[in-house]
Amino acid sequence: MALLQDALWYKDAVIYQVHVRTFFDTNADGIGDFRGLAQKLDYLQELGVNALWLMPFFPSPLRDDGYDIADYTSVHPNYGNLDDFKLFLQAAHERGIRVIVEMVLNHTSDQHPWFQESRSSRDNPRRGWYVWSDTDTRYQGVRIIFVDTELSNWAWDPVSKSYYWHRFFSHQPDLNYDNPAVREEMWKVMKFWLELGVDGFRLDAVPYLVEREATSCENLPETHAVLKELRVNLDKYFPGKMLLAEANQWPADLRPYFADGDEFHMAFHFPLMPRMFMGLKLEDRKPITEILKQTPQIPAPCQWCLFLRNHDELTLEMVSTMERDYMYDQYAGDKHMRINVGIRRRLAPLLDNDRRRIELMNGMLLSLPGTPIIYYGDEIGMGDNIYLGDRNGVRTPMQWDGGWNGGFSTADPESLYSPLMLNPVYGYQAVNVQSQKRFDHSLLSWMKRIVKVRKSTPVFGRGSIEFLYPANHRILAYVRQLEKESILVVNNLSSTAQAVELDLRRFKGNILIEMFGRNIFPRVGDLPYLLTLGPYQFYWFRLRKI
Amino acid sequence: MAEESVLTDEFLRQLINVGEADILVGVPTYNNAATVGQVVQTIRAGLLKFFPRERAVIVNADGGSRDQTPDLVRGASINDAQVSSDIHALRTLHCISAEYPGEPATGTALRTILASADLLRASACAVVSPESTTIEPDWIERLLRPVYQGKFDFVTPLYRRHKFDGLLIRNLVYPMTRAFYGKRVKEPYASEFAFSGQLGNHFLGQEIWAHEAGRTGTEISLTISAIAGGFRLAQTFLGTKPHLDARSADLVTAMRQTVGALFWSLEPNFQLWSAHALPERLHGVDQLERRSHRPLRVVFGGDGSAPDRHHRIADELLDRPAVQLHEPAARLEIAREQLTHLLRVPLLRERGEAHQVGEEHRDQAALRDRSRRNSGWREPLREPRPALDAEEITGAIGATTGGARERQRRAAPGAELRAGGVLVPAVRARSHA
Repeated sequence: MALLQDALWYKDAVIYQVHVRTFFDTNADGIGDFRGLAQKLDYLQELGVNALWLMPFFPSPLRDDGYDIADYTSVHPNYGNLDDFKLFLQAAHERGIRVIVEMVLNHTSDQHPWFQESRSSRDNPRRGWYVWSDTDTRYQGVRIIFVDTELSNWAWDPVSKSYYWHRFFSHQPDLNYDNPAVREEMWKVMKFWLELGVDGFRLDAVPYLVEREATSCENLPETHAVLKELRVNLDKYFPGKMLLAEANQWPADLRPYFADGDEFHMAFHFPLMPRMFMGLKLEDRKPITEILKQTPQIPAPCQWCLFLRNHDELTLEMVSTMERDYMYDQYAGDKHMRINVGIRRRLAPLLDNDRRRIELMNGMLLSLPGTPIIYYGDEIGMGDNIYLGDRNGVRTPMQWDGGWNGGFSTADPESLYSPLMLNPVYGYQAVNVQSQKRFDHSLLSWMKRIVKVRKSTPVFGRGSIEFLYPANHRILAYVRQLEKESILVVNNLSSTAQAVELDLRRFKGNILIEMFGRNIFPRVGDLPYLLTLGPYQFYWFRLRKI
Repeated sequence: MAEESVLTDEFLRQLINVGEADILVGVPTYNNAATVGQVVQTIRAGLLKFFPRERAVIVNADGGSRDQTPDLVRGASINDAQVSSDIHALRTLHCISAEYPGEPATGTALRTILASADLLRASACAVVSPESTTIEPDWIERLLRPVYQGKFDFVTPLYRRHKFDGLLIRNLVYPMTRAFYGKRVKEPYASEFAFSGQLGNHFLGQEIWAHEAGRTGTEISLTISAIAGGFRLAQTFLGTKPHLDARSADLVTAMRQTVGALFWSLEPNFQLWSAHALPERLHGVDQLERRSHRPLRVVFGGDGSAPDRHHRIADELLDRPAVQLHEPAARLEIAREQLTHLLRVPLLRERGEAHQVGEEHRDQAALRDRSRRNSGWREPLREPRPALDAEEITGAIGATTGGARERQRRAAPGAELRAGGVLVPAVRARSHA
């Protein structure tokens, strides 16, 4: 299957997020590699995903799971080499799977040669590639992102005897985007990977590229100018490639990242995700509809990226204090589950391993407007290990079967990059791909079906959304529409059976066809359309006028 | 013939939309547009502040208002269709309104609220008067928290009242309730109270709704039902009770509707209140028979103080909305002469008033202090002695009020016995009717 040539491919994509390290180890060193990832592409193709988002795989001291890059144009030896990557990329494309590469623009590792040169002397040509200062009093008032580990955004460099600016960890100095040489070099880096054939970039931490006094140093016009410059180059030399923004901001602050359709193609919708969990726990659609009401319209070629869980904590930065307290109480009763301003747990444990809730949340993920991202392992309901440090508890090895190391590696179990999940509920002997492939009603089989249904129509990826507001607040109902095709989605957020009356008068005469079983439901008339839904049940109906 | 449902189909539809609730606040109304908006907004503020995570609903049981009352209640809803930037709520708050069938009556309104609570499986419910303009958001906390925490089943208020407010409650209903049932429920006929879902269901299943007591004075029956059923009671201080414009009302009607419910409750609870008092009761019958040629005389005291310190009835403003059939939320003003005539109580001497007011205020101040110490609510004391212990009883039937304190003091021990005597024939008569 070759890649379809469509400039808006990302709108129809179902993205699978994976770290090479976590997926499959072919050289028995206990660490996943590109050859292993290539071997498992058939699995991903079967699942139905058509894009992969690879987390950083570049050479790095790995003090921040690869987000501290020491070389932008190579592959970390743990994961193979550049040839392995090329083979993987080719194999993915052959299966109709596009590859999105992580690109950390904002900062490098302090081990990067650029920084080593920059700190070596105040006269070094690369001195201006980073943000240096003789004092730590510049840019006062700028928030510290990792409040539990960093005291300041400035760090003292004993080599050059000055301070350098860092918005993340102190071992991650920020690049200076006021310097044209930096902008040019970073474009060269992107160009390097684009020439190899990657299909897009997930650009990390984009709000922080440029610093200015008396500002928050976030979302500055100068930052947007840098990003637009990259986009111009991308469209000019590599049309059809995609830029995805990682900006943990409110929707109104995110909107400028789409600009007039000439900056980012996609951006993560961070505030929606915690509210989906909140709505489920409250059994109330209000948190979800409210945040989507506050979400501004974006240019036609642009798209939101939706996710339930990812490699980071379930971030609670974009919620009110009251909501945050509620989320902590409901989803992170154990202090080990909390990190920074969020909850470090996977999807299945967050939902008490309740199959109905897992299905409902995935149903919403795949039917709300945007491109969905599935985090590796969530398609089989993998668990987490909250006793591992940082966010490593949600980055344990993929569980392929119930055998040695869960089928992940033939290395000694002690040598794995991370301990496997071992407990009787989520351990690899209970939750693994092989066992779930054998049963039609496993979560994996169900995920394959829903992804297939999602991909059966462009409405979910490209259509408009209109919320219905039935008086029953436990029902989240909306109509997705693209040209003449309409799909009605009805979700029951409640743990109990519900009746709901929907005002579908404007679809009078249509019959409802349930999209999973293709069963026909009664025709829409003048009266409110009565539906009953079991606990956490949801329907996708195609509206057809026959 | 099937019994007519108190819930209309339209209201049932609204209940379906609400689903299940943790907390329900009922507001019985009838043409209360002047005040209900403020009251409901305050209830909403209280729910958002003190119960932000709980599934809450405000249920308006309306007697067929011709003003904007139901609209004002419904307008307090919080939902996602009308997002307001100044309201920060975790979840939807339904404010629903039902016009119950039949004539306006507080009992029917209460039944509607109870039925709603039953269907919504609310674990803690409160009723708030639409005329309580002094309501503060923390009333919701004070009423509902003891119930929601599962510590109590019935919470009645304590108010800071004007000295002439609530005399019938203070001087007749309270002492009689206390005398018969042995609980110091200061406001047995309250316009604000809270109850558990369990008590609500228990009361809903009582054989009261086909009787007059199920239409008027029903709150008294609820209080007695809570006591008789062994439910856990508490009282909570709510602050000042508003002094509303009083309207004249027929005293006989008021007495029948208010005290009638109290008397009606005696029959079904005969076993309970007669358990300790049977010998005295018989004795009391004898006394009553001996005095049957004399008019029935009543001495009122107040607030649980010793009888000899309460030798007068100060005024006759009955603080209780909704005792009148067609104006359920109206207040009744009973002319002084009417009440005293009915009860054969001589008017107070002016010189005594200052003394009594002072005592009363001291007592209420003490309540406030206790309330603060106990997070706003306290459990009413169960009488350590039999229900008709004369020392604890503040009202006595059979003594004249015109007598001196000394005479009262002497008469008090026997008074309760006579009280039993008064009531028993009435109960028996009813049972043979």
